[in-house]
Amino acid sequence: MSVVIRNVRILSPNSSLHQATEIGIEKGLFVDPTTIKDAQVVDGQGGLLIPGLIDCRVNLREPGLEHKGTIASETRAAIAGGVTSVVATPTTDPVVDSPADVRLVLERAKASGLCRVLPTAMLTQGGEGHHLSEMAALVDAGCVALAQGNRPFGSRKIELNALKYAQSLGVGVILDSEDSDFAGGCAHAGQIGTGLGLSLNPPLSETLGLGADLDLVEATGVNAHFSRITTKNSVERIKAAKARGLQITCDVTIAHLIYSEHALVNLDPNFHLERPLRTEEDRRALIAGVIDGTIDVIVSDHSPHEPGAKLAPFPETDQGMSMSEGMIQSLIELDKQGELPLENSLDAMTVRAARLINRTDLGCIQYGNSADCVLIDPDDQTHFDPTMWLSAGANSPLLGKTLPGRVLGTWIGGQHFLR
Amino acid sequence: MSSPFDIRTSSASKGETLFDTLKNLEAMQADLFVVRHSAGGAPFFIADRVTPNIAVINAGDGTHAHPTQALLDLMTIRKHKGDPANLSVAIVGDLKHSRVARSLIHGLRGMGCPDIRAIGPGTLLPGDLGHLGVQSFNRIEDGLNGVDVVVLLRLQKERMSSALLPSEREFFNLFGMTESRLQLANDNAIVMHPGPINRGVEIANEVADGPQAVILDQVTNGIAIRMAVMAMTLSTQQESQS
Repeated sequence: MSVVIRNVRILSPNSSLHQATEIGIEKGLFVDPTTIKDAQVVDGQGGLLIPGLIDCRVNLREPGLEHKGTIASETRAAIAGGVTSVVATPTTDPVVDSPADVRLVLERAKASGLCRVLPTAMLTQGGEGHHLSEMAALVDAGCVALAQGNRPFGSRKIELNALKYAQSLGVGVILDSEDSDFAGGCAHAGQIGTGLGLSLNPPLSETLGLGADLDLVEATGVNAHFSRITTKNSVERIKAAKARGLQITCDVTIAHLIYSEHALVNLDPNFHLERPLRTEEDRRALIAGVIDGTIDVIVSDHSPHEPGAKLAPFPETDQGMSMSEGMIQSLIELDKQGELPLENSLDAMTVRAARLINRTDLGCIQYGNSADCVLIDPDDQTHFDPTMWLSAGANSPLLGKTLPGRVLGTWIGGQHFLR
Repeated sequence: MSSPFDIRTSSASKGETLFDTLKNLEAMQADLFVVRHSAGGAPFFIADRVTPNIAVINAGDGTHAHPTQALLDLMTIRKHKGDPANLSVAIVGDLKHSRVARSLIHGLRGMGCPDIRAIGPGTLLPGDLGHLGVQSFNRIEDGLNGVDVVVLLRLQKERMSSALLPSEREFFNLFGMTESRLQLANDNAIVMHPGPINRGVEIANEVADGPQAVILDQVTNGIAIRMAVMAMTLSTQQESQS
């Protein structure tokens, strides 16, 4: 069925259709609306039409962690947050490290029939950091990148080999830079964590890891993406490395753009994250990094948990928050608060994210591209009612809150989804 | 009214979660929970989830807080030295891992103490004490000058195995409270310690047994403070029910 969406304002950075008021969809692709005959007409009621968001770090929890979430539940949640493509982390149980695992993820995603799922796989077998995984076969099976997730490499030498091998195959890698000696503290080593007497994670844990990783990336020439940077110092280092000509990219989580260490004062376990929330100065540097392009993409780092995982005193809870479901609303709120203009955050989650995963057909409303788009009423709002929550993980600071912006409809490859 | 509950022999060692332990104790019709827990924030977790007729007293959570210790310390300071708003207080030793120190700092600030000092090696002082209104000293000779109250903290043996300190001997040589060091403080300054003390580590024998030590008085005051805290929390609970 062909569709023409009328009476909208298209907000698509880098597109010649930016600010256009109508678009056609035919055979799963965007087309010139004047070329379609007998189309179903959708009245956009003056809303914003944006490219579907591409979320480059989502924990879908399958296989093995279905008690925390499933591909079906979490991709449905993602769609409610304006997301149409998710890059799935490989840190499941077992981890994704074989072509069969990759196919399983893709088949489950296809069976759910919801948003696009782009798998990644571990750089090392079992994620244990010792033996290289079959990278070529993993890419053949459909991986968009290889990652080591939150698992350390056995040694810097093994990391060097993994990066060198990936580079020789032309495969991109995703690195979580962290020095394992310093990792593990549950709060930023700053005034809040000190006052609460929590175990501390100093910025050094990230910068020591990042410094070593940057050297290894430079030595191998691999295309590397640094995931979840949290400090001003990291932004500055990545900016300098890019200026030196390194082919690198990086991301920041939505939580680190919204919250700082002050979110921990009431010991709400939802703010217990793998990468701690840092200072207000760091948060501002991360926002500035998104605006000036040092930080390429924004990710949800969506981490759903079963209720028991957060039903304990703060330090004993599992890390991570469930955020996919409020991505576009969170971006609109950052815009309305004057913190981060929507055009910058959209660019990060569409054009730049598509470039990161080498999918030029995504992230841009343009004739011939895959028809992935989201219709939004930016003047309405979304109330995150616990009874309407779609993610299996209720571990979200969004629950009970109301954010600006409302998703009216979503198209993925031309298929229409209502909430 | 209450019965002692030892985690080593309780269900926690059998894998029961804190939440379920809590529900079981609640079912036993307890009026009051006195909670000591290794995780910072555990008493708040409990207070948020028990029925409102149960009082929860924090008896020490992780390295976060030890409020009744701070109250008895403040009582001891007031009794011996008067209003904390006119005093200089030095806290010596492992502030980084001390819930006693954190609570005492909050208490002293709340009572208007204008001069709170932390004394210890760089590895045992948190980096952000300035935000808590505390001045840090790495040399005890600098920090003790002119103080009215010296609070020593217990040094745990594991600080040596985690490479925060070379030895107890070196700690005593640099930070141990000796008679000669105590002379740097004001005349009649008091020496406090939350106990149990390590003689020859935090404190020299002659100071521990000397006239300026009020350590055993702290213990006695602790009885009154804890009785008062229990009486007040229980009566508040009963008022809110009636």
